[in-house]
Amino acid sequence: MINLEILFMNGYGLYVWPSFIFTFVICLGFYLKTNKTLKKLEKDFIKEAESLSKQEFENLKKQKIAKEILVSHSKN
Amino acid sequence: MIKYLNPSYIFNLTGKILNLVKFFIIPIVIVGIIFSLFLSPEDYIQGDAVRIMYVHVPAAWISLLCFGTLSLLCIINFIFKIKSMSLVFKSLAPIGLTFNIIAILTGALWGQPTWGTWWAWDARLTSMLILMFFYIAFILSYKFIKDPINSSKICTIISLAGLINLVVIKYSVIWWSTLHQPASVNLAGETTIHISMLIPLSVMLLAFLLYSALIFLMKYRIETIRVKKKGLK
Repeated sequence: MINLEILFMNGYGLYVWPSFIFTFVICLGFYLKTNKTLKKLEKDFIKEAESLSKQEFENLKKQKIAKEILVSHSKN
Repeated sequence: MIKYLNPSYIFNLTGKILNLVKFFIIPIVIVGIIFSLFLSPEDYIQGDAVRIMYVHVPAAWISLLCFGTLSLLCIINFIFKIKSMSLVFKSLAPIGLTFNIIAILTGALWGQPTWGTWWAWDARLTSMLILMFFYIAFILSYKFIKDPINSSKICTIISLAGLINLVVIKYSVIWWSTLHQPASVNLAGETTIHISMLIPLSVMLLAFLLYSALIFLMKYRIETIRVKKKGLK
């Protein structure tokens, strides 16, 4: 049986639990939104890179940042 | 030294640190929550309501730290015109705003059982609310002002004005008679908080710092990819 005292905290549970839940929900929501934007941008970058001519694509792959984006996205 | 300022080196490094932070963050958050909610003692006056401190205080500290850092970076950027600096402060501002909102919300939840009110127009609370408006103004400035020179100038002005507000936040509990208690943790002076509460507070601060680092690194990568994407067109 769950110890209800942990949940109620002498009546302060009404304030303590929402504080932790708010913080957790805001942080999780912010993380998910940021992660989604990052993945979308990586995908768009690769899409645009692939639409380049073969020569341009090869030149792009020589750039370290572009190479890292292409590699990191393929890993995920 | 030049190597460490190279954007491609920094971008590569962000990927490596990101994986490291992802590995450590969940265990530290779990330990922090267990300490804060179950292992730390009640306060002799506030009872269990004191547990709100473990989310409220680190959130407030990080929101102040983010604004202080971005103000400094804005000044450096304004003087030396370092392009990658704007990527850093654009990545920092949303993190600071998020923690500022968390600090205000959890502060209201702490205020009700201890002061008997959710909100008071007290110097500390009001200056924290003003900080939120500075963050919003800062973010709107770099999002909606297209000209980078103008945007940089306005961001620097906002950050400088916000810097004065940071001093007001820090000393508000000393300068005015406020509902908010003075600081219990002082890096330079005496720390009045008991070790049994300082440990959970430190673990939660570490968890929040790791979370901030995680978001910062992701945001930095987002801003870098945006710049690179523009270069493709």
